Amino acid sequence: MNYFPDEVIEHIFDFIASHKDRNSISLVSKSWHKIERCSRKRVFIGNCYAINPERLIERFPSLKSLTLKGKPHFADFNLVPHEWGGFVHPWIVALAKARVGLEELRLKRMVVSDESLELLSRSFAGFKSLVLVSCEGFTTDGLASIAANCRHLRELDLQENEIEDHRGQWLNCFPESSTALTSLNFSCLKGETNLAALERLVARSPNLESLKVNRAVPLDALTRLMSCAPQLVDLGVGSYENEPDQESFVKLMDAIKKCTSLRSLSGFSEVAPLCLTAFYPICQNLTSLNLSYAAEIQGNHVVRFIQFCKRLQRLWILDSIGDKGLEVVASTCKELQELRVFPSDLHDEEDNNEASVTEIGLVAISAGCPKLHSILYFCKQMTNAALITVAKNCPNFIRFRLCILEPNKPDHTTSQSLDEGFGAIVQACKGLRRLSVSGLLTDKVFLYIGMYAEQLEMLSIAFAGDTDKGMLYVLNGCKKMRKLEIRDSPFGNAALLADVDKYRTMRSLWMSSCEVTLGGCKRLARNAPWLNVEIINENENNDLMMERNEEDEREKVDRLYLYRTVVGARKDAPPCVTIL
Amino acid sequence: MDQNLVDLTEKLSLSSNKIVLTSSDGDSFEIHEAVARKSQTIAEMLDAGCTGTIPLHNVTGKILDRVIDYCITHVKEDGPFEEEEEAEEKEAKKKWDAEFVKVDLETIFELILAANYLNIKGLIGLTSQAVADHIKDKTPEDVREIFGIENDFTPEEEEAVRNEHAWAFEDSK
Repeated sequence: MNYFPDEVIEHIFDFIASHKDRNSISLVSKSWHKIERCSRKRVFIGNCYAINPERLIERFPSLKSLTLKGKPHFADFNLVPHEWGGFVHPWIVALAKARVGLEELRLKRMVVSDESLELLSRSFAGFKSLVLVSCEGFTTDGLASIAANCRHLRELDLQENEIEDHRGQWLNCFPESSTALTSLNFSCLKGETNLAALERLVARSPNLESLKVNRAVPLDALTRLMSCAPQLVDLGVGSYENEPDQESFVKLMDAIKKCTSLRSLSGFSEVAPLCLTAFYPICQNLTSLNLSYAAEIQGNHVVRFIQFCKRLQRLWILDSIGDKGLEVVASTCKELQELRVFPSDLHDEEDNNEASVTEIGLVAISAGCPKLHSILYFCKQMTNAALITVAKNCPNFIRFRLCILEPNKPDHTTSQSLDEGFGAIVQACKGLRRLSVSGLLTDKVFLYIGMYAEQLEMLSIAFAGDTDKGMLYVLNGCKKMRKLEIRDSPFGNAALLADVDKYRTMRSLWMSSCEVTLGGCKRLARNAPWLNVEIINENENNDLMMERNEEDEREKVDRLYLYRTVVGARKDAPPCVTIL
Repeated sequence: MDQNLVDLTEKLSLSSNKIVLTSSDGDSFEIHEAVARKSQTIAEMLDAGCTGTIPLHNVTGKILDRVIDYCITHVKEDGPFEEEEEAEEKEAKKKWDAEFVKVDLETIFELILAANYLNIKGLIGLTSQAVADHIKDKTPEDVREIFGIENDFTPEEEEAVRNEHAWAFEDSK
């Protein structure tokens, strides 16, 4: 057929961006493989231990953007020891040494040190974008290096990280010549902020579209910031527990009125009700609203606010909004696509029904919001009837995460398990990709999931099921499963070992406080050398584990985390982790 | 679109120099120099002193005809005679471009090769995008068939690459 010179193929590849397509074209022929790999700019690595930096660089030397994920998801629930791993430093060292032209680095649940940030800031002249989500291990000193040395920095986005705040002058470290910022998010910092430096920085950043400040930025500073950045699209505000005086309020409202491009609002770790009303002028433009940090504000103020937000597509809220509040959301927010309702007080002893949500709120939302496709819902009770209704109302769910706070809680009207309710969800929602189940559940719910959830990629199970059959239904049925995480459920070796090859098709499996034994895990590791089978026992160390005799093979494993890898066992495991 | 040329030559008071391009199969096309210069390759030849007729051995008449259409439509951009355009004009061009690539794949292949040989930046981009759109969401087998390419991986090599993709360099979700 046709002969295409390499440069023509390169031109074509310039227009192929998705990882999936790039992976496909690199399998066409050896020559295409070479052209593709030398031109691939963006790489996504879902598990940093599935490969190593050297292999990455060897394959993709022209890489500009790297995304890495470290700890497994259950780290968010304190189930993974801090020292478990996910260190970014070796990656930065290798990329620097190979002189890769890195421009963008996005990390999730990784350990980042000040040394790493310093090295990053000095090694990549064109570095533009740093996004850190749920990371830990660094301080504001590391941020100072980034600010000072990355001359072309456009984006510094820090989401939910554990950062030691030295209350230094990191914001001062942005040179006067730094005017390219488009996004700055330091909402997770706990300490004082140099307000003057911040205001000067914002004033000289005409392209700034996203600004999320931390709680230590007071109202008058916020007003000044908004006044010199009326072009903002995305704003995260600080903490305002005191009612503003008349003059401050007017100034604030004037500044807000000018921000006609504002579409997304968040922050509000505390907010006096009057403050909230200052934002009314831009409510009608908002497509995204996150009030999930505003623990002290009463539901009715939040509801009144939301009533003006007719264009909301994304809403993150606390359960203090109540079922009545959700009914208002359902009748107001017809464009709603994603809803997250977080628990306002996990340690609440009183059964204060006013300040929480139930199945009533969930049904109302499902009935009122036809575009809803993603939900995370923490609640105290649920019924099968409600879930069946929700399934009928919303067959388009892609993500459905229901978290009933009390483990093993049955349907509160019938005292039965919630198998039928979740069964209805998976049967109706043919596009479901992510599911979290809770409440009283038997093996039957997993039979349903295995039968119907054909697109399911991630499943979270806690305190559910009766026998190994439950887990087997899922492993056998869900062909697209990538991440399976299970805690406190009676699944053991039989389920774990039934189909070892299944784990070739999954990114990872997590099992904690289940019935799997050391012997079972050892057998799995022997049969699957391409898996890293990690045992995490916080009270043990490596040597002790290896000396165990046969008796102890029957001992249950506290935490098991297994994942496929092309580079074998990692070398940086701490004493509490044994790799079989 | 001819009005473009009249305006241009008037504005720039250029003598309306004409260039003749001949295709590999003997067709001749007489065009304004401004249009011919959309091709970096031809521009370089002209700057080096070529005059009169320029033979293009690698391009058939059928394709050259289309390429010239493109150059006439886009004569105001990226060239020595760049001009600011109205939003309306930009829209019209976008539509024109979309129609331009609504042809069979074989023709697009010939166009991309011609654009590359003649080094016409905008046309390279337009045809590359069109080909890329044909490749998206296809399996390697499908792509091989479209391009008539042999699979020269051994089964082991192919499996190693597939594993690396599936396990290390996933699709992001």
